[in-house]
Amino acid sequence: MSKDSLELIKGTLDVVILKTLESGARHGYGISRWVRGATGDDLSIDEGALYPALRRLEKRGFVESEWGVSDTGRDAKFYRLTPEGRRELSQSVQHWERYVEAMSRVLGTAAGA
Amino acid sequence: MSEYPRRRRVVSRGTIRDDVERELESHVQMRTDELMQDGWSREEAEAEARRLLGPRAEIARQCESISRSHERVARRWRAMDTVVQDLKYATRTLLRSPGFAVVAVVTLALGIGANTAIFSVVDGVLLEPLPYPDSDELVRVHERNRDGGPMNVAWANFQDWRSESTVFDGLFAFGIGQTTVLGGERPLTTGVATMTQAMWATLAVAPVQGRFTLPEDHVPGAAPVVVVREGFWRNELGARPMDGLRLELNGVTATVVGVAPESLDFPVGSSLWVPAEILGPMSTSRTAHNWRVVGRLSEGVSAEGAEEQVDGLTRRIVQSEPDADPDYLATGALVRPLQDVMVGSARAPLLLLLGAAGVVLLIACTNLASTLLARGANRSRELAVRSSLGAGRGRLLRQLTTESLVLAAGGAIAGVALGSLLVALLKRLGPGSVPRLQSVAIDGSVLLYAVALSAGTAVLFGLLPAARLVRRSPVDDLRQGGRGNALGGRSAAWTLLVGSEVALALVLLVASGLLVRSFRSALAVDAGFDASDVITAPLSLSRVKYETPAEHAAFYRRIVSDLAEEPAIESVGVLSVIPLGRFFPTGRVELDDDLEKQANAGYVLASPGAFQALDIPLLEGRAFTERDEAGAPWVAIVSRSFADEYWPGEPAVGRTVSGGGMDDLWEERPFSRVVGVVGDVRFQELTGEARPTVYFPLAQRPFRIQFGSTLVAESASGDAATVGPLLRSMLQEADPDIPVSLATQEEIVGSSLAGREFTMLLLAGFSILAVILAVVGIYGVVSYSVATRTKEMGIRLALGADRRGVVELVMKSAMGMVAVGLLVGGVAAYFTGSVVEGMLYEVGPRDPMTLLGGVALLTLAATLASWFPAYSGTRVDPMVTMRAE
Repeated sequence: MSKDSLELIKGTLDVVILKTLESGARHGYGISRWVRGATGDDLSIDEGALYPALRRLEKRGFVESEWGVSDTGRDAKFYRLTPEGRRELSQSVQHWERYVEAMSRVLGTAAGA
Repeated sequence: MSEYPRRRRVVSRGTIRDDVERELESHVQMRTDELMQDGWSREEAEAEARRLLGPRAEIARQCESISRSHERVARRWRAMDTVVQDLKYATRTLLRSPGFAVVAVVTLALGIGANTAIFSVVDGVLLEPLPYPDSDELVRVHERNRDGGPMNVAWANFQDWRSESTVFDGLFAFGIGQTTVLGGERPLTTGVATMTQAMWATLAVAPVQGRFTLPEDHVPGAAPVVVVREGFWRNELGARPMDGLRLELNGVTATVVGVAPESLDFPVGSSLWVPAEILGPMSTSRTAHNWRVVGRLSEGVSAEGAEEQVDGLTRRIVQSEPDADPDYLATGALVRPLQDVMVGSARAPLLLLLGAAGVVLLIACTNLASTLLARGANRSRELAVRSSLGAGRGRLLRQLTTESLVLAAGGAIAGVALGSLLVALLKRLGPGSVPRLQSVAIDGSVLLYAVALSAGTAVLFGLLPAARLVRRSPVDDLRQGGRGNALGGRSAAWTLLVGSEVALALVLLVASGLLVRSFRSALAVDAGFDASDVITAPLSLSRVKYETPAEHAAFYRRIVSDLAEEPAIESVGVLSVIPLGRFFPTGRVELDDDLEKQANAGYVLASPGAFQALDIPLLEGRAFTERDEAGAPWVAIVSRSFADEYWPGEPAVGRTVSGGGMDDLWEERPFSRVVGVVGDVRFQELTGEARPTVYFPLAQRPFRIQFGSTLVAESASGDAATVGPLLRSMLQEADPDIPVSLATQEEIVGSSLAGREFTMLLLAGFSILAVILAVVGIYGVVSYSVATRTKEMGIRLALGADRRGVVELVMKSAMGMVAVGLLVGGVAAYFTGSVVEGMLYEVGPRDPMTLLGGVALLTLAATLASWFPAYSGTRVDPMVTMRAE
């Protein structure tokens, strides 16, 4: 992980996790690896926060888990979106898009003035 | 329905920690693998992976705590989820066999309904406290008679108790009688209580309108006042204002001063209350037991403590009365809780009925238990499949219990509905002798009872079959093709169920049989008179309109002679008291012109026609005639038992007898010559001995007529009811102020047996219900047994056994179970006879005929109940049944 990668803004970890699971079940390590890969190492997940977050999502019913075997033959716990999780993800994504749009308008205006 | 995923495995406390550790370790391992691919050495890679993960212990702790709280919530949801699932499943299962569900619910509803109804009566009549503040402090005080039993109180004794005892917070005397009341909407006869002033404070009641009587109303010579009950005030006085409202009671005009609440039903049946003291000077005799006494115990005083004092007090008082007849003097005093005294006679029959209803419910439960057991056997395959698919025994047991609970809930709802119908019916049909019956209602405590009962029954009928099913190994059932092993392997359980049904039904049948036989003996009693065609009209004339005894006598003479001329009337007469009426005066009379020769007898005044109207047979001498009038020689008639008891072996005609203590002819004390002997009449109780009785001509003792007499008329056509309108119109014509209420003598006889009849009918109803349930139960068990043995029967029939033999085989095993029940039930019935002993008449509690009759009836019913399914079971083609396997 490169030193200058961005830390996730507080509160965004959950939506990122849900997004990584959109395409299918993944284990915790797979989630952190996917985030690094998808963002070209721009974003990094604090691994210490990842696992509690997964269990919180599980408690809220957005994901469910099952033990399985990783593609490298390791014993791993896989997480998968529940229908509730999928709904939560689409709501969060809409919310984030509006947020980002608004933020960039604010920041863009300020820069252009 | 859940915010949480359903299909999660149950994870215990230990495994949550393992799960977290395993997950974090897997993360480290995968990271290590990746780093090693980048060329790191194993040790370095693993150290780097652990460093990147961060503070592992802290992370693990967080994860564990989240998952644990998740687990707790999920477990609660799962539990509720299971209950809902069980309920859904149970309902679905029951709806799949609606016949079974309906029979089960109806069976339960009958049992629960009967219990709810009887319990609500028991609750309202026996358990619910009297409607007065701190009613447990109220006691009834009696004098103790020679045999130690309770008797009413002499006024003089009451006075001494009142002034000398220290255990009461209020003590009052009262009496009640039926009195003609004029001045309301219509003349009528109603219950009028005479009481001392302390009644109001002792019972702690407050007037609805106006005031209660005051101490100054309770002195001899005070202006007469009266307090009316609210219902009377509204219905008879049109709720008019108190101001100047007056009523005429037995010739006394009294001013209405206040209205008492309708809830004040004390003494029972009172509509009006008048001060006792205005009746005139009270008898100072300590043997005139005319009053009833109620007191409120002072704080901290028990009924026993009060009795000790009043008893001692009474013993001292009577010692100072050496002249009084010791036979009639009190020997002490008794203090008992008022409620016990009031409900006393209703207690035994009500508790008996509650017991009977309980037995019906037990039979209903047994029935359901055997049905469920049979069903369970048929369902064993289903259960085995569920069990092998992972449902635990606890889960299956819960599932079966849920089914029982669903049935019980259905039964409870239907049962309470049925119960409230029954309560309404009981209130309409119940005899007046059950106190407080009209205030009975299905209230909270009754509902609570019904719910507890239903839950109890669910456990009772559901648990045994459930336990049996779940205990069995599923593998056996699957291997057997789910056929169960029919009656064979479980015959002990079947015998227990069928046997107890039969035994319980037999006990009820015998108990009710004893009551039915008693009732029949009571009806068959020769009462000494013929009630069949007689109508009675109790009369009470206004003492304002008819001032002197002679005027009263003249009225009666006139109406009797008018009626005697009517062709519809065979004979007519007047009696001071009628057989089996409310009241029968008995007391001391004197014999043979000797005031020292005393006898105890009933005292009746009669007009010449009365004996004829009631067909009371004249055995010796002559009856009264019109010539036995005032001024003529004094005459009397005695009953056979009087003659036998006091002049044994000698002719009674020609002897003399006085009216003794009951005559109003105190000065003269005339001895009357006995001119005739008549047959014994049971005046007091149909089921009691006839008391020796003395009759005097009404015309020679006119003073008594003022207190009311009864007209008795015998119909010429043989139908008493047809004379009613004639009698009514003639009385109205003679004096429109006379309240007329007619009753046939048969109705009066009937109502004297009303309490007995009520208990008998209800108990008989319960036992019929019990027999029906038992029959249904036996039928069900035998049908099931036949159904599970069709293959065996098919083989037997195919091998040449004749049908009759097969039917016999089935019936033999069925009747074996029944026989066990009859044996046990017979022994139980033999002993439970003593429970109803107090209600029997001329039938022993161990009457062998009744017992044999019960056994015979049940044997017949059981034979039919098992023959039908056995017979129809063999009708099936053996080849078909064998192939069905």
